[in-house]
Amino acid sequence: MRRMTRFHRPVVAALVAVALVLIGSTVPNAARAAEAVTLNLYISGDTNVFDLFQKGFIPAFTQRYPKYKVNFVGLLHGNGSDGVYAKILGAKRAGRTTDVDLWEAEPGYVDAGIPENLWVKLSPKLLPNIAKVPQDILQAVDYFGVPYRGSSVVIGYNSKFINTAPRTFDDVVAWIKANPGKFTYCDPNTGGSGQAFVTAAIYRFTGPDKFAKGYDPKEEAAWDPGWKLLRELQPAMYNNGFHPNGNVAVLQLMAQENIYMASVWSDQGLDFFKRGQLPKTMKFTQITPPLIGDDARVMLPAGGAHLEGAMTFLNWLLTPEAQTMVINMIAGYPGIEWKYMPAPLRDQFKDVAKGFSPYPSPKYLADIKRLWHEKVVVGQ
Amino acid sequence: MTDARKGSASARKEGALGLALVLPPLLVLIFLIVVPAITAIIETLSPPAGTTTGLTFNTYAQVLGARIVRSDIIFSVDIALISVAVVFCLSYPLALYLRFAQGRLPALFAVLFTIPLFVPVVIASFAMITFLVNHGLISTMLYRLGIARFPSLVYNATGIVLTQVWASIPFAVLILGAGLQSIDDALIDGARDVGAGPLRTFVSIILPLNAIPTMITLTLLFISIFGSFTIPYLVGGNAPQMLGVTMTNYLTQYFRRTEAVTMAVIAFIIAAAVGAIYVTSVSRRERNLL
Repeated sequence: MRRMTRFHRPVVAALVAVALVLIGSTVPNAARAAEAVTLNLYISGDTNVFDLFQKGFIPAFTQRYPKYKVNFVGLLHGNGSDGVYAKILGAKRAGRTTDVDLWEAEPGYVDAGIPENLWVKLSPKLLPNIAKVPQDILQAVDYFGVPYRGSSVVIGYNSKFINTAPRTFDDVVAWIKANPGKFTYCDPNTGGSGQAFVTAAIYRFTGPDKFAKGYDPKEEAAWDPGWKLLRELQPAMYNNGFHPNGNVAVLQLMAQENIYMASVWSDQGLDFFKRGQLPKTMKFTQITPPLIGDDARVMLPAGGAHLEGAMTFLNWLLTPEAQTMVINMIAGYPGIEWKYMPAPLRDQFKDVAKGFSPYPSPKYLADIKRLWHEKVVVGQ
Repeated sequence: MTDARKGSASARKEGALGLALVLPPLLVLIFLIVVPAITAIIETLSPPAGTTTGLTFNTYAQVLGARIVRSDIIFSVDIALISVAVVFCLSYPLALYLRFAQGRLPALFAVLFTIPLFVPVVIASFAMITFLVNHGLISTMLYRLGIARFPSLVYNATGIVLTQVWASIPFAVLILGAGLQSIDDALIDGARDVGAGPLRTFVSIILPLNAIPTMITLTLLFISIFGSFTIPYLVGGNAPQMLGVTMTNYLTQYFRRTEAVTMAVIAFIIAAAVGAIYVTSVSRRERNLL
């Protein structure tokens, strides 16, 4: 959702719609012809997530459970999600099964489907491995869906110019003031990595939990010290207060060594780094309190035609074997607790794997973005 | 049957055919432009739910009362005016050159200058960024020449104007050139025969005869630059922003639809005022032709 390019949405949506029609017409025949059970997996995300499933999860799963075949449907940046939701809801209301066996859905659809009883409520009895998932994360959505991978915003810095990594948000602020022009974050309208720095400044004075749920505009007065701090930092930002559009633009400024430090998505930054698109001296670290992040969830539709197979897949998804792929292939965070992960991986990620702060609720976030424009870049 | 009645029957048939041909675009115009525009205007004028009935200018007062929106409107008008001026100063000489010069070089230029027409603005914008950004081509060249400090060329008004100019020149040259083509060579030769120099010919013959295409070019350029989104979104800074970007933010990021629609109506009024100049120019030209 955060990396959506507005321009391509309609085109991609149309393509996905065509693809859905094509797949919808061929799948039942294929399933009938084969002895094996075919699970239909609808995944929304970027191409890195598609690769994770198509080159990682699915081959490994079908090798371990030869009884199953997996039919993968990719919803690029979530395009086509409306149709998938309508399909599940339509089947439910008509009292029929749906061929959507598993769906990685965005939070809005998860919430909308709960009162409609669209999702199976999970428990360790149904899914033994769910016991390895941090319980607060499951409670946050009332045990609907499996949070199988996470990513958060971290601080990326170029160790060629910075010897000691910042440990706290105040460390970052102090560094920015001492090194004017060498830090920036993206316009919060255009990327989560910018929202993370802005919310960090707000949370610095309010704590994160108050704004994670609900909405009351009167509470927003508490943001004022945060705005003041951000305004103070403006002259010390890159190019006298410039914030580029999008997460990638910040990474490009890092790559050209125009800036030495920035807030970046952990998975995106590590991915760019691995592909050699960032300086070799780039490092990533999480500060305390951590910057915001989120979990991706796979939902189990209650009307799915292959519930048993879908649960087998979900349970397998929470094994260290699958979770290692999350780390190695997309530099994500595992859905299960770090203590269940192999020791070498734990060491490799000890700098960034410190959890993350919650996103503000959608309406608070909208106001944060608007007020940032009014109070920070325009100034008062 | 008399000839006259046959004539009126075929005229009626032709009229019906004409109507049938005009109807689809007319319906599209009505249902996709006129109706939504009217509903949008009503939406901006209606009071918040649950209060008094009737029309109110409250949203307009609210939107125009915000300093950030006012500065965005002024910024958009300024950018459009400056871009139009720069485009005009660059394209008029080019159009004159292509009209009057002979040989292989002008023919080559005629092809070269149209290239930006075939480059999507998204790509052009990103190309301009890599070209103009710090540590980019231009800044490296300036640095080699010993100029180490110079104003930033991108992510600000300068960047927007430079990219708009780059993208608009072909269009301006094409329309100005079409106007210049229609000036009869005999008039220019005549002026030369009575002893007018190139400057005199330009001021007394070419400029007045090409005045209407010039007005058309200026107004169309203004409206398209004023309403642009992609270039200011990618190449512009954080504040002030052009209205296209501001409206999109209010609609998709801040969930404030009514404010976004109100800004759209304000933008429409500004564009319509400029459009009026275009309409007068066109109708004056048609009157001249008659």
